Amino acid sequence: MKSLHVEGDTFLHRLPAGLKLAGLAAVSLLLFLLHSPLLLAFAAVAGIGLYAMLGLGWRNSWQRLRVILLTIVVVSVFTLVINSPVDAAAVFFRLIALFLFAATITATTSTGDFIAVVTTAAKPLEKTGLITASDIGLAIGLVIRFLPEVLDRYQAIRDAHHARGLKPKPLTLAVPLIILTLRNADEIAAAIDARGIRSQK
Amino acid sequence: MDIRFEQAEARFEGRTVLHPLTLSLTERRIGVIGLNGSGKTTFARMINGLVLPAAGKVSVGGFDTSKDGDRVRALAGFIFQNPQNQIVLPVLKEDIALGLSTRKLSKTEKQEAVSGILARFGIGRLADRRVHELSGGELQLAALASVLVTRPDVLIMDEPTNQLDLKNRGLVEKTIHGLEENIIVISHDLDLIGGFDRVLCFHEGRLAADGPPGDVIARYREIAA
Repeated sequence: MKSLHVEGDTFLHRLPAGLKLAGLAAVSLLLFLLHSPLLLAFAAVAGIGLYAMLGLGWRNSWQRLRVILLTIVVVSVFTLVINSPVDAAAVFFRLIALFLFAATITATTSTGDFIAVVTTAAKPLEKTGLITASDIGLAIGLVIRFLPEVLDRYQAIRDAHHARGLKPKPLTLAVPLIILTLRNADEIAAAIDARGIRSQK
Repeated sequence: MDIRFEQAEARFEGRTVLHPLTLSLTERRIGVIGLNGSGKTTFARMINGLVLPAAGKVSVGGFDTSKDGDRVRALAGFIFQNPQNQIVLPVLKEDIALGLSTRKLSKTEKQEAVSGILARFGIGRLADRRVHELSGGELQLAALASVLVTRPDVLIMDEPTNQLDLKNRGLVEKTIHGLEENIIVISHDLDLIGGFDRVLCFHEGRLAADGPPGDVIARYREIAA
């Protein structure tokens, strides 16, 4: 699995992560307040322009974005079927803009910076006594870190089925995947304890 | 380094996996050998406080693992069998910095510490790499760097060459031999621990032999025969 982060030195890379995430939140709200397909189309074009600044090229960009873009097309077609073409156009351009802005921020923000912002933002929640802000940041980092491992494990289980001449079924794929992932989670938790990462915070 | 086991015993689901053990570890390089399931990993995990004694006491640098877990873990670093699980953030330099996250260091000092430890192991080029993309040998060196950046007094390694090919095994062995820190290495690789100061051999949850490598390895071979 490719990393969502793209190394670079654009002005977006240099902007503070907190500012970028706050800006993304504000723009997202604004996009949902707008209903004009024309204005939303302008926003989508702005999103394309922003993403193009990463300099990834068409082919690389398409590979990174295609799954979500195709999902947006499906959602828009569904909206066209049950609502009006104007609604469908608004949904299409809104989601395209939203997705491209988010993808750009993700690509220009390192995981470490992202975790730091989330941890800072979650600090006030510590007053409830229910959570530790640093744990939320660490949890996000763990998801990003171990998602490729889980996908690799899924592929290995599929390969094992094929190697034994078995047809992969959801149940026979899911059960070993869950068991192996949980076993790994125990070891990862032990590693976090051993490194004193949580206790130091 | 001063590690003490005082009648320390470990149990798992009602079964004794390490029988009461009393010993003191003061040597700089200590090897731990034994058949699979002999209790050697439990023994090592007890030093770091990952496994707490069901009876007796384990202390590191005077701190009781049951009462002062945080202090013990600051003194005793631990490298797991699978370094994949040791590194918890996606990018290597970020993971290494995570170990320093609450030390009272400036951003520049943290960056220097990260660069320094990567340079020490000759993996500075990997600083920005995704952990998922690293080879087995690179991962093992990265795991070493992630633990040693916090400057523990003793480093415990659980079968550090177990999953490596011949080339990477040689690289990691050379690195281990060059470490200045106190080390405790669990290994089936008898060549690796042959030159150590002291070797412990576990069998069926008990310490079966303890002494210079030659004598203890000979005893291990008898057990394994």
